[in-house]
Amino acid sequence: MSLKRIEIWGDTVAPKNLLFSIVIIVFTTMTAHLIAPKDYPTMGLFFGLIGAILGFLITVKLYKPKRIIKEEQEDA
Amino acid sequence: MDPSLIFFMVLAAFLAVMLYTIIGFIPGTDETSVLLPITLALVLAGVEPIVVLTFFIAAIVTLNLTNTMPTALVGLPGGVMSSAMIEHSLVIKNHHKSAITIKKMAAASMLGVLISVPISLLVAHLLTPFAQHIVPYASWLFVFGAIFLSLISKHKVLALLSIVPLGILFESLRHLYWGLNIVPQDTNITVSFFLGITIGPLLVSLFSLLNKDTLNSELIEADKTILLPKVEKEKRRLNPFKILNKEERRHMSLTALIANFLFVLSPVGLTILFGETVGKRFKDPMRRATMSITTMSGVVQATYLSGIIIPLLALGIPLSPVAIGPGAALFNAPPVFSLNQNIHHLLSFNQFVLAVIIGALTALLISYILISKYAKEITRFILKMIPHESVLALFVAFIILLAYMDAGLINIFGVLLIGLLSGTLNKMGVNYGVQFMSLYAAPQIIQLLIGAI
Repeated sequence: MSLKRIEIWGDTVAPKNLLFSIVIIVFTTMTAHLIAPKDYPTMGLFFGLIGAILGFLITVKLYKPKRIIKEEQEDA
Repeated sequence: MDPSLIFFMVLAAFLAVMLYTIIGFIPGTDETSVLLPITLALVLAGVEPIVVLTFFIAAIVTLNLTNTMPTALVGLPGGVMSSAMIEHSLVIKNHHKSAITIKKMAAASMLGVLISVPISLLVAHLLTPFAQHIVPYASWLFVFGAIFLSLISKHKVLALLSIVPLGILFESLRHLYWGLNIVPQDTNITVSFFLGITIGPLLVSLFSLLNKDTLNSELIEADKTILLPKVEKEKRRLNPFKILNKEERRHMSLTALIANFLFVLSPVGLTILFGETVGKRFKDPMRRATMSITTMSGVVQATYLSGIIIPLLALGIPLSPVAIGPGAALFNAPPVFSLNQNIHHLLSFNQFVLAVIIGALTALLISYILISKYAKEITRFILKMIPHESVLALFVAFIILLAYMDAGLINIFGVLLIGLLSGTLNKMGVNYGVQFMSLYAAPQIIQLLIGAI
């Protein structure tokens, strides 16, 4: 099985996961922003940020980091 | 002053430390993108200015300290500032000295804060009498700032030539929105344009992947292997003065001191300049890497603290890359703050000093201890938990949200336009500092051009 990875901003990602992550977080952020109560102007930003964090958590749950972590034995 | 306010300040500092410790450990979290939206949210929510300032100071001190940890441990930069340290951190990793080096870096970072807070408050105090003569020329200062930053950058002509086109781009979008009645005539959109510049290089990378040929040519078939160095638990010396030897302390303190006076220059630029200058004096590669990286850890704190404290306390206009960038919301956050009514005008000297001290000390105390003991555990946890995809996607969502809030649907594409141009320029070698200054100088640049005809 061959993995499909891309190096972007110093770390590896799977292009498909990246695309879906963007779609998910943008969706939760903008939905939260648009349902925010309109009578108080700063609520829009707050709802948006909360939406962003929600989306972020969803993608964290959904996708695994593309990193293999090895522990090094250091002789001190 | 109301004693309950002190409580809220400490609480704000504490929350900032918790939040930005986590963010700092996540690789690739750009400082501006994580500082600006949250500070802006606090300002717009009507949080007391003194509490906002405390939060911000605690946030930058924490972020600058924690960002260096994944850099030193696994070679992934925690933020933009620590990308300068990568090369040296790899040398140290190869010599198996990460464990002691992260302690040295944390100690240097702490000393950097302890030096910079009093010095930048002093510089600000000395500068204040001249402020009334400087401020009326602010719009000119931005123009000169853009030229000056170009002249000290690596690719001078390229940077100089990009100032006017950038200015035209920003002003043409503003005039388009005014002309279409999308925003009122007196609204100068800045925040989303600003983030457009910040996220530019990422946008260019993402867009180039939409080209199937590029995508296929860049595909690799392996996950990134990350070596987590062994960190001895026994050596729990926490006194920062004892962790650094005399030579390290001297170089690091001197450079952090000088950096305070150069607050108008780019933090990344200064960090590289000082780190490399000190490093070059040592022949042994390991010694050189250690000296560079400890110097950088201190200088990073100095550039950020002076860059926000001096312009904010002395002038009230964002006249440094840090003030224009991550700290922009402290100067300008309509409708709460404007350039004529912001933290500079709302806080007395004593209140300002108090906020800075509470913010910095709370952050140092908690994050220094946290890092000295658990740097490796936190790094491992974050690397195992947080996919890079989520981080990148979060930035994209932030920028879309702020663009939409500034001027609706059309501005999402406006900011995309800015991101693609400034990201391309960035990859060609025009640094952030020049681009940010051009954004602030844009109205004046256009005035000049019309006048010249």
